[in-house]
Amino acid sequence: MGKLNFFVRRTAQLVVTLWAVATALFMLFRLMPGDPTSYIVSPQMTPEVRQRIIESYGLNDPLWVQYLRYIENLATLDLGRSFNTNSEVSEILATYLPNTLVLMLSAFVLAYAVGVTLGVLTGWYRGSRFEKSTVVTALVGRSIPSFWVGILVIWVFGATFGVIPLSGMTSIGTEPEGFVDMVTSLDFLHHLVAPMLVLAFYYMGYPLLIMRNSMLETLSEDFIDICRAKGLSERAIMFRHAARNAMLPVLTAAAIAVGFAIGGSVLIETVFGWPGIGREMIRAVMRRDYPVAQGTFLVLALSVVLMNFVADLLYGVLDPRVTYE
Amino acid sequence: MAMLEVEDLKVYYDTAEGAVKAVDGVSFEIEEGENLGIVGESGCGKSTLAKALIGILPQNGYIAGGEIRFRGEDLTEAPERRRRELRWDEISMIAQSAMNALDPVYTIRQQILEAIEAHHNWSRTKSQERIDEMFDLVGLDRERQTDYPHQFSGGMRQRAMIAMSLVLEPSLILADEPTTALDVIMQDQILKRINEIQEASSASMMVITHDVAVVAETCDRVVVMYAGEIAEEGPAAAIFDEPYHPYTLGLKSAFPNIREADQDLVSIGGHPPDLHDPPTGCRFAERCPMATEVCSREDPPEVEVGGLRSYCHHVDDIDTQLRPVADRAETWQNTDAADDRGLADD
Amino acid sequence: MSQKHERSIFADVEEYESDEEFSAWRRNLRLWRSTLSEQWRLLTDDSLVVAAMAILGGFILLAFVAPVVAPHDPLERMYTESGLIAKWIEPSFLGGEGDFLLGTTAQGYDIFSQLVYGARPALLVGFVAAVMTVGIGTMVGLTAGYYGGYVDDFLMRLVDFVYGLPLLPTVIVLVTVLGAGLDSIILAFVLLQWRTSARVIRALVLSLRERAFVKAARVSGASNWRILSRHIAPNVLPMAFLYGAFAIAWAILTEAGVSFLGLGDPNSVSWGVMLQGARVYSAMTEGTWWWFVPPGVCIALVVISGFLIGRGYEEIVNPELQVEQ
Repeated sequence: MGKLNFFVRRTAQLVVTLWAVATALFMLFRLMPGDPTSYIVSPQMTPEVRQRIIESYGLNDPLWVQYLRYIENLATLDLGRSFNTNSEVSEILATYLPNTLVLMLSAFVLAYAVGVTLGVLTGWYRGSRFEKSTVVTALVGRSIPSFWVGILVIWVFGATFGVIPLSGMTSIGTEPEGFVDMVTSLDFLHHLVAPMLVLAFYYMGYPLLIMRNSMLETLSEDFIDICRAKGLSERAIMFRHAARNAMLPVLTAAAIAVGFAIGGSVLIETVFGWPGIGREMIRAVMRRDYPVAQGTFLVLALSVVLMNFVADLLYGVLDPRVTYE
Repeated sequence: MAMLEVEDLKVYYDTAEGAVKAVDGVSFEIEEGENLGIVGESGCGKSTLAKALIGILPQNGYIAGGEIRFRGEDLTEAPERRRRELRWDEISMIAQSAMNALDPVYTIRQQILEAIEAHHNWSRTKSQERIDEMFDLVGLDRERQTDYPHQFSGGMRQRAMIAMSLVLEPSLILADEPTTALDVIMQDQILKRINEIQEASSASMMVITHDVAVVAETCDRVVVMYAGEIAEEGPAAAIFDEPYHPYTLGLKSAFPNIREADQDLVSIGGHPPDLHDPPTGCRFAERCPMATEVCSREDPPEVEVGGLRSYCHHVDDIDTQLRPVADRAETWQNTDAADDRGLADD
Repeated sequence: MSQKHERSIFADVEEYESDEEFSAWRRNLRLWRSTLSEQWRLLTDDSLVVAAMAILGGFILLAFVAPVVAPHDPLERMYTESGLIAKWIEPSFLGGEGDFLLGTTAQGYDIFSQLVYGARPALLVGFVAAVMTVGIGTMVGLTAGYYGGYVDDFLMRLVDFVYGLPLLPTVIVLVTVLGAGLDSIILAFVLLQWRTSARVIRALVLSLRERAFVKAARVSGASNWRILSRHIAPNVLPMAFLYGAFAIAWAILTEAGVSFLGLGDPNSVSWGVMLQGARVYSAMTEGTWWWFVPPGVCIALVVISGFLIGRGYEEIVNPELQVEQ
C-alpha cells in the first residue's frame, strides 16, 4: 500500500474520530443538568422576551434538529455565541488558544529535550547510581500532582520571596499591542517561567522513562555490537545509533502524552490564573455556558486527535521500515 | 611470531549468582593469512571469545586473566583509545545474524562510510571508490548502496556485512556464525565468496561456528571448544578425519557428512556443565561415553597425537573403543547425565 | 529467558491432565502458588518496592481506623473558647491556640482530621477505579485479540475514539453531567481509562495466540472458552496486574485534580477538596503551609507507591527490561 493511500485512509479515520467526538460531546452537553437559560435570561424579563431569547438560541427545537444544525455549524467553523457574554465562541477561542499554546509548547519542548536526553543517558548507564536516582526522580515528578507543585511554587517563590508573579499572564497596567508584542515582552516571560517549569517537570518523566526502556531494548540489538566493533566512539553509538533507533516509540508516546499534557495544563492554568483555553473550559463548564464549553473542549480534543495523526505520519518518515500496511 | 596469540585467556560474566566462567584458560595462535575455525555447541564460549578479542564484551563481561597479543601488542593492557583504533581497521567482524547486524535506520552506504570515517581521513571520492570496489567484490549491485537494510534479502545483507567488514582491509576477520541465518544454497554461495576473498587478500580469518561442515570448507586449522575450554586443536583435515577427543567425535557424528550418505545423526546426551561452578577434572566427563573415575578427578593432560593437540585422559583407547561406535546414536545416550531431553544444542 | 515465556505456565499441567483431574487441580494450584511466591520474592528484593508497599499499607490502615485517629469530625466546625469560629488557627506545635495538630482551615475545620479522613476517598477511588478499568480493559483486549476480524476492528476503532478524548477535560465534562461526587469521578475515569489496558492486552493476546502451546491446544480440539481461560488469561494476568497498579495511581491523581477544580463531592472531604479550599482562600499568600502541604504530600506518597510497585512488577513480567546475562 502506498504512502498516498495510507495518508488518505488515515485522514478519513481522523475525520470519523472527530465526528464521533463532536457527537458524543453534543449528547453530553444536552444531558447536563440545570437550566442553561438561567444565565442568559433574568427573572425580570417578560415571558415573551425570555421565549424569544431561548428561541434565538434554538433551544426549543427537537434534539435532532439541534444536532444537524450543530454539525453543520461545526463544519463551517461556526461555534455559536457564548450564553454568558454573547461573544462569538470562535473569537473566545482565538483569544485564549494562543496563550495555551505558548505555555504548553514551551513546556513540552523543554520537557522533551531534557527528558529524552536523560532517557538516553539512563539507558546507556544502566545500573549506575545516576540511573537509579534519575529514574526515581522522574517517577516522583510524575506522581506529585502538578497543581500542588504549582501551589508550592506560588507559596515559596511568589508569596514568600516575591520573585514570581502570583497569577496571570501579564501585569496589570501593561497593555501590550498585539500578541507578538506581548509574548516578546520581559513581563510576559516573567509570568511564563513558573507555570512553564512546573509543567515541564510534570511532562518530563514520561519521555524519560519511555526513552530509557526503548534504549535498553535497542542496546541489546546486534547492530550496536557491530557499531562498537567498528571502532565508533561511545558518543556516536549512543546518539547516532542507539538513541536514533530508540526515538521511534517515544514519538508515538509523545502523541498520546499530549492527551495527558492537556489535562495537566488545565490544572496549571487554573493554579497560575493563566488565561488559557483549559481554564476557560472549566469556567464555562461551571457556568453551564454550553457553546464555550463545547468549543474549548473540541479544541482540546482536536489537538489530541491531530497529534495522534501527526505522530503516525512522522513515524513513517523516521522509520524506513514502515510500509503503510 | 604469530599475528594473534591468545594465552590462557579467561573471560567471565558477573551475574547475580556469581561469575560465569564463559572462557576459562584458552590458548591458541593465528598466523598471518591463516584461517582458524572455532567449533563448539552454543554456550561453549566461542562467541564470548570473539567479543573479547575485538573488545565488545557486554557491560557485565570482563577479561579475568591471560593475554591477547596482536602482533606482539597485548590488547588486554592497551588503553581503550588504542583498542578502538585497532577495531575494524585491523580486526573486523562478520556478525552472527546479518538480519540485525545492520542499523535499520541508515542506508548500507552510510554505514560503511561511517566505518571508514571512524578511522581514515579519505576523500569522498576515495571512500566512494572503495565502497564500489567492495560491492563488486561481494557481488552486490553498486546501485543498491543507498538501500536500507530491510530492502535487502538475507543473503544480500550478509554480503553487505562482508563488504563492510573488508572495507578497511583488516588483518583479521572474526566471522561469528557467518551463515547460520541463511538457507543452505545461500550458505554455500557465501562460503565460496568468503573463500575467494580470503585467497585474494592476505587477511587471516577466525570462523566461529557450531556447524562442523562450515569449518571443514573454510579453515586450515580448527579449535574445538567445550564449556569454556579447548578440547582439541589441530589441522582441519586431521580433526575431521581422525579426531582423538571424544567430544570432537560426538560433534562430528552430530552433523551430516557430505561423504557418507545415509548416515544416522546422533546427539550427545546431557547438557554442558553450569559455568558458574564448572566440575573439576575433564568438563566433558559427565557426557562422555569413555569417562572413568580419573576424568572427574584430574584435569586432562595435553596430548600430542596424530598431529593434534588433544586434552583427554583416554587418547590411547579412542581408536579401539570409541571410534568404531561413534556414529551410533546409543553410544551417546548411555552416559550418566543423558536424559530424555538430551539434544545437541544448536 | 525467552523459553520461560514461550511456555504456558500451565504447560506441565496439561501434560499430566489425562491422568487425574484432581491431581491436575493440585498441580495447577501449586504452580500458581510458586509463580506468585517467586514474583513476590523478586518484588520484595527491591527495597524501593518494599518501602512503597509499607507506605500504601500504612494509608490503607489509616483509612480503616480514621474515626479512631482523627480527633474531630472532618466537617465539624471548631470553636474557640470565646465561642468564635476557630478559623486560621496555627498548628499546636507552632503555639496555635486550642489543640489542633495541624491548625484549622479558613472555615474552621480541623486540618489533621480532614487529612486522616482524606485517605478514604483516595484509596476508594484508587482501588475501585483500578479494578474496573483493568477489568473492562482486559475483557475488551482478550475479546478483540482472540477473536480478531470484525470484533477486533470494531473494538479497536472504539479504543481509537476514546484515545481521542483528553483525560481530565473529559472527566470534568462527564462529572458535570453525572453530578459532582466520588461515584461520578470513578465512572468517568473508568469510561476513559480502560483504553490503555485494552490496547496492551490485545497486543499481548495477539502474540500469545500464535504461541506453540495455544496452537497445540487448538489442534487438540480445546474449546475457545477453554483456551481463553486456561491458556491465555493466566498469561495475561501479570500484565493486567501491572496496569492495575498504574491505574490506582492515575485514578487518585485524577480524583485529586477534579476535586481541586471544585467538582468533587461537596459533602465529603478529600485531599483534592482540601487543596481547593486552600487555593480559594489564598492560603499560599497567607503562608499557612500546614493547610496545603500535608494533603499534597499524602497524594504524592500514595501515587508514588502505586507507580513504584507497578514499576517493580514491570521489571519482573517484562524480562526484556532486565539486564541481559
